[in-house]
Amino acid sequence: MFSKATLKERRQYYREEWSVKDLPEFIATDLKKREFGFDHNGRGPNDRYKVFRGPESLGKFLKFKSPFAAYISVAFYNNPRRREDWLKAEYIFDVDAKDIPIRTCQCNGVCEVCLGEALEIVNSLIDTLQSDLGLKNIHLIYSGRGYHIRILDEEMMSANSELRSEVLKYAAGAEVPKSQFINPEISNKSFNFEHFTIPVGYSKIFTDKVKFNIQHLVGNEKIDGINPKLMKDILSSRHHLDNDNWGYFKRDIGPRRYKNLVAAMARVNLSTIDAKVSIDLKRILRLPSSLHSKVSMKCMEVKNRENFDPLDKAVPKFVYERKGV
Amino acid sequence: MTEVSYINPLSNEGRGIIRNYGDLNQIFKEDDSLIEICTHTANQKLSDDYIPKSYHDLALKRIQWAIEKKNNKNFTQAEFEFLTNDELYLQDVVTFHILCQAIAVQFNTGSRETRLFVQSQGTLILERLAKIPPMSRAEIIDDVLDEVKIDGSIKWKSLKDIVASKRLKLTDLLIDRGDIVLQQDDFLNRFADRFHDRSPDRMYSILIGDSVKEQILSRLVMQKTEEYIKRIKEMSSRIEIHPAIIKIGEELKEFIPDETGKYNQYYAGNGGIYGSVQAGKLNPDAFPPCIQETVNGVSSGGRNDAIVLLLTSFASYARLYPRIFASEENVKVSDMDPDLTITENEILPLIFDAADNCTPPLFEDQPQEKINIISKLGFGMHDRLDINHEGETKWYTPMSCEKIKIHLPNLCHPDKSCKGINNPLSCYGRKKFQLDNAQKE
Repeated sequence: MFSKATLKERRQYYREEWSVKDLPEFIATDLKKREFGFDHNGRGPNDRYKVFRGPESLGKFLKFKSPFAAYISVAFYNNPRRREDWLKAEYIFDVDAKDIPIRTCQCNGVCEVCLGEALEIVNSLIDTLQSDLGLKNIHLIYSGRGYHIRILDEEMMSANSELRSEVLKYAAGAEVPKSQFINPEISNKSFNFEHFTIPVGYSKIFTDKVKFNIQHLVGNEKIDGINPKLMKDILSSRHHLDNDNWGYFKRDIGPRRYKNLVAAMARVNLSTIDAKVSIDLKRILRLPSSLHSKVSMKCMEVKNRENFDPLDKAVPKFVYERKGV
Repeated sequence: MTEVSYINPLSNEGRGIIRNYGDLNQIFKEDDSLIEICTHTANQKLSDDYIPKSYHDLALKRIQWAIEKKNNKNFTQAEFEFLTNDELYLQDVVTFHILCQAIAVQFNTGSRETRLFVQSQGTLILERLAKIPPMSRAEIIDDVLDEVKIDGSIKWKSLKDIVASKRLKLTDLLIDRGDIVLQQDDFLNRFADRFHDRSPDRMYSILIGDSVKEQILSRLVMQKTEEYIKRIKEMSSRIEIHPAIIKIGEELKEFIPDETGKYNQYYAGNGGIYGSVQAGKLNPDAFPPCIQETVNGVSSGGRNDAIVLLLTSFASYARLYPRIFASEENVKVSDMDPDLTITENEILPLIFDAADNCTPPLFEDQPQEKINIISKLGFGMHDRLDINHEGETKWYTPMSCEKIKIHLPNLCHPDKSCKGINNPLSCYGRKKFQLDNAQKE
């Protein structure tokens, strides 16, 4: 686990363990309208523009070639072989455990801890996508080193990059919520409410994410807009957030620096997700059920996201057969 | 009672007014009822000489209002009070449609002139709503919003075009299970128990009230206005346009730069913000912060996008064709640099130096990126510039600030030079213009 799979192990995986039934239904449906890409030697997916008539022919290919990595397009085309006549594309949130800007483990690659934190982040994203934005056709995939949220609601499938970007900013908490409210019917003066005083809507989403970030800080993170002195003060005051005493927390930080802090947290929230993937209409993503050979883990659909443990569910058999495991 | 078409000239009522309007040749003639209503508008401070006397005058006054409202620090609404007089709704609807058509015929759909008009329509709606008594206002708002309502509520997805155009921010809306929460009883049903130390009723009035509905309404009409202008633009290639519309379009082509030029020299002249920027030697002092950081070197993670996508397109257009966004033409590098000497001797060295400054140097571990740079200049997937390969790929235009924030968040540290800018190329153009002027003085 977390070490590279050999060609022999890849063959063993695809010929003995992999089954057509492992392909999630949303992938198997309309398979022939998608583009496939393969990496045969670990140098990137350079065998592109592949098309399969159905799951069976894909299966034969996988068993025969045992690729280092297999990818499938998020897009559906009338002519996938040439990536022509684009029809629609899944909407994706890609959270890679190794790229999360605030990780308590601080490991060099991925480990049980940061994978757990990545799962907490994707669970919170899915809650927002479902409860707030009302999206329904959502699938969670464990990618091998993180998670892909794949959304197949028709409105998002037909959305352009601009709409995808706006929804991303909302779900990620990538903008500081507005704090000034003007309603001439009540008063000519504007009302000022910090995000943490509004327990609904986007302000709540943002507040929850900022709290999560602050509680996971180790102290040596390099975060744009947070200098060492501010970082020190955040760490010494964050106990107030255990009971949601944001007012005390803000008082300790000071109003000017608090403004810097929330702006920095909005940037952290955005960089938690690989935003390029979300706005890309023609991306290829790791094929669910395929092997992530770099780390010897299965890329697979997560059925129960509350208690999914990749180290229990996504480890191929050959890993257990390795010497010393 | 205020008419719906006064707020939404694209409503069925508004379309009915247009169908019943007579000869377009009349728009240059004096119209007694227009003069009468304008003259007797309350709170108006405008001498008889400046009162609009024809539909043509009213159209120009609307545009003048938009420009002054946006740019004139001493703007006086009292000089344009007739624009918020609901008795003028018939004339207003006709003028709106005349302007949409004239703008569609004369300008590109993404031009600053089109944007100025669309934006002004949104602002005008908000100003008009503010003057309507609350009861009528609520009725009109509901009437206009009816078309996006599903089962009594508005789904955010039904406003996706407005969200995508960034006219309405999802983060400014209160969304729950896909619905935009607008009504007080709905708000209380969903959220009353979440407020412990404040009255939920008062919080509703402050957070939502009528203001969110008004924002949605004005953005919706702006979006529909833009779509209407696009439709006319498409149709104008197939159908004959009335000479009166063409004449007003031509007049606007002179009128808008003249009026805008009174307040902002830089924005004056055809081509807008980019129009006055000439191709010339690159001035690194005018580079926006994201480009300066890229030139100084980017660390692993964002190197490829920063060098290949951002810097290559920025440096080439800034040096060879800084007014690309004003022209909407399809151009090639060799149109501006026929023997490619500027590209070889100035542009590529800047890009390659920046690639070398990366940590680790970009070409050390990814030499294929040189090919990608050539490709982004429009010379196909080759390792060097060759005029014979030009056109095999497209000359990429610089990515917008919005895209930089998504693709390269670590490079986006806006300073005051970025204010009001949405593309690094326009930031460079403005800064260079200011530096050149300062040098002349």
